[in-house]
Amino acid sequence: MLCGVLVDLVPVSRQARELDHKWTNNESSFWASGGEWRFVTRAQIAARQARWAEERSRGDLSVGFEIRTKDGQPIGWMGINWLNPTHRLAMLGAKIGEPQYWGGGYGTDALLLIVEYAFDWLDVRKVWLATSTMNARVIRQMEKVGFTLEGRQRQATLAEGVWHDWLAYGMLREEWPGRETLVERLGLREKAVRRG
Amino acid sequence: MLEGTLVDLVPFEDDFAIYLETWMNEEAWFRAHVWERREPHTEDDVKKYIENMEKNERGGLIGFQAKNGDPIGALIFDHEWTRVRKAEVRVVVGDSRYEGADEALDGLLMLVRYCFETRNLHRLDAVALPFHETWIEHLRRAGFVHEGTLRQHIRWDGDYVDLEMFGLLQSEWPGYVQKVAELSLQPSDIEPKPKPEKKEQKEAQPS
Repeated sequence: MLCGVLVDLVPVSRQARELDHKWTNNESSFWASGGEWRFVTRAQIAARQARWAEERSRGDLSVGFEIRTKDGQPIGWMGINWLNPTHRLAMLGAKIGEPQYWGGGYGTDALLLIVEYAFDWLDVRKVWLATSTMNARVIRQMEKVGFTLEGRQRQATLAEGVWHDWLAYGMLREEWPGRETLVERLGLREKAVRRG
Repeated sequence: MLEGTLVDLVPFEDDFAIYLETWMNEEAWFRAHVWERREPHTEDDVKKYIENMEKNERGGLIGFQAKNGDPIGALIFDHEWTRVRKAEVRVVVGDSRYEGADEALDGLLMLVRYCFETRNLHRLDAVALPFHETWIEHLRRAGFVHEGTLRQHIRWDGDYVDLEMFGLLQSEWPGYVQKVAELSLQPSDIEPKPKPEKKEQKEAQPS
């Protein structure tokens, strides 16, 4: 649906919904939530998915995509958790549920797709997201893609007994150089070629 | 009732519920609820808001009044996050005569006291529009630390304006008693408002 270099963003498939149980209970949730370990049953996952579907049918303005590799493997979620039309803000949320795809440019490729979608199709003025100081990979990604660090909520999350800060990153539309420029600058095509 | 220095905290009902029909359509409300779309709140909307806050297990709506019983506004904590023990706080100074007065500051201090000393929260978040100087001044006097500026974040009267982020940790709070001693709060001696007309009486009148 949204075609990237290493991944596509596609409608959530049955296969991805089944993987949600694994992705919710593994370490990807620990990193995405800023330090929470979950023990979630299949029944709870099904109830959560039904609740999200119902919220969307009632006009909730979130947008959710599955991240799918070019060879057809679902690896996580990328979406807009909170779209605010009054302030024209899109708060992004993501998770790569398959740890072997961390650090290979997959998440960055997916991020560029959702930012382009938010600016070019939904006409938002600003995209923003929050992560914790423990998540060095996301912090690096934010810097590479050109987000601005706008705020630091001190001791706003706890991971394994240690307090970490929440960091808020934002990018205004006029700061977005375009997806193609960033694909080039970050060498994503070379990464895709190396992956074969 | 939780007694403070210049204000007391009470359940949000009776006169507060009547005043809220006005307060929820005034500037103080919209400044404290920057995420919301500015739209008119009908009597039913106000009733529903109070009902929702009564059912809200992650937040609360508390009335605060001057020592003479004059209702001043609403103290709100919300999005309480159990695992991390944090919540967002906001103060709606419904009676605009108290805007910037030490009664409004004491309302904030009492809300902080309640969150830290009764609910045992670890951290409080607050946001402020950059031009809402009285609120920023009260946050600073209460000890909140400026933690960042969300750039051009809020649509406000024809412009996109920044949103200032503040935070206060339980470890930074010296305790209400000590904080009040440091600040030497002064009452503003504002005359109490006339009591609002009771709803039932209004409805009983022939049309």
